[in-house]
Amino acid sequence: MKILKNLRKLGFGLLLVTTVVGASGEVPMPEIPKAKQNFSAEQSCIEPTDIMRRQHGTFLKHYRNDTTRRGIRAIQYNLVACINCHVTADESGNYPNVHKGSEHFCRSCHSYAAVNVDCFQCHTSQPQESFSSDMGPVQSD
Amino acid sequence: MEFWTAFYAISFYVATLIFLVFGGHKVYQYAVTPAPLKIPTTPAPVTTSGVVVRLLLEVTIFKSLFRSNKWIWLFALIFHLALWIVLIRHLRYFIDPVWAIVALAQPFGKYGSFAMLFGLFALLARRMFVARICYISTPSDYLMLFLLLAIGISGTLISFVTHTDIIQFKAFMLSVLNFNFFNWQTIPTDTMLLVHLTAVILLMIVFPFSKLLHVPGVFFSPTRNQVDNPREKRHVAPWAVKEFETSPASTTSE
Repeated sequence: MKILKNLRKLGFGLLLVTTVVGASGEVPMPEIPKAKQNFSAEQSCIEPTDIMRRQHGTFLKHYRNDTTRRGIRAIQYNLVACINCHVTADESGNYPNVHKGSEHFCRSCHSYAAVNVDCFQCHTSQPQESFSSDMGPVQSD
Repeated sequence: MEFWTAFYAISFYVATLIFLVFGGHKVYQYAVTPAPLKIPTTPAPVTTSGVVVRLLLEVTIFKSLFRSNKWIWLFALIFHLALWIVLIRHLRYFIDPVWAIVALAQPFGKYGSFAMLFGLFALLARRMFVARICYISTPSDYLMLFLLLAIGISGTLISFVTHTDIIQFKAFMLSVLNFNFFNWQTIPTDTMLLVHLTAVILLMIVFPFSKLLHVPGVFFSPTRNQVDNPREKRHVAPWAVKEFETSPASTTSE
């Protein structure tokens, strides 16, 4: 039963490795910047956080299709509103760059999971002054 | 500690251990099994570097399969190449920060899953509808296809339909790789993700006991890895020399 003996050796080895490595504990996690305000007292974003984490891409894509193909603007998922609430300036008043690093709200997770953010090839990644803070859609022409 | 987190973390350790120990044992067996005869399938390379090229062509473009059956070759190549791209794409869950090459592979891997499923369905159709293949197919032949299909279908669904929290999943995976025993990051419990992971764990466990051993096995195939030089260099197994001859030098002039 040579293989059993080897197995036992390997088990001890693994135990040794885990006691050394296992102590370190921390794993890298994205550092997500805090949003400016909560959506309501019970809910932090426009949908429960669980759903936002899984479905935000789908929401934005539907919004894009509705807007560009069918001309519908006044709907609940609005990229400009996301940016206005979620992208915050640092102490010197500068907004983080969405194309590099991981400080920008979108980039913090998208870098972690290597997912492209295509939105900002056209859209702005920084809050707009003229935008009202009630999370409603922009009503320009 | 949440039940599913512990369940999947421990299952990953067990599956990896089985995969490495029994898979390694199998490779060891292959390596020490004597090849008493010179049997390269001719025309065969006459130098060692030629053999390296032959094996490379064998494992990258399945050269001998191409010569024997064009249909199987086509579907097998589609499946295996797509599997490579998908596997490279999946490295993003195990590495932080993600390598540039892995980041570049993302969009290709996403659609590679469809190529992978196409190849798998084609190979399954071959097994079911080609009468002579159907006749010699065993349950284990189907098991491999079904496991890979389960992995492919659930993965594609996660990617395109019922998303999961991949950030949290990566955190879970990194904590598993970091051996944070019973201090793992929580696993997201979306059904499709759990189906996906279960199928992967099962595939890792059956790997060392199944036809999936063709992965290391192809490198040990005597008809492919031998140099065609029986006249230049006498092929003789060490145990045969010890058993039957006083010294290998005395027989070279026969």
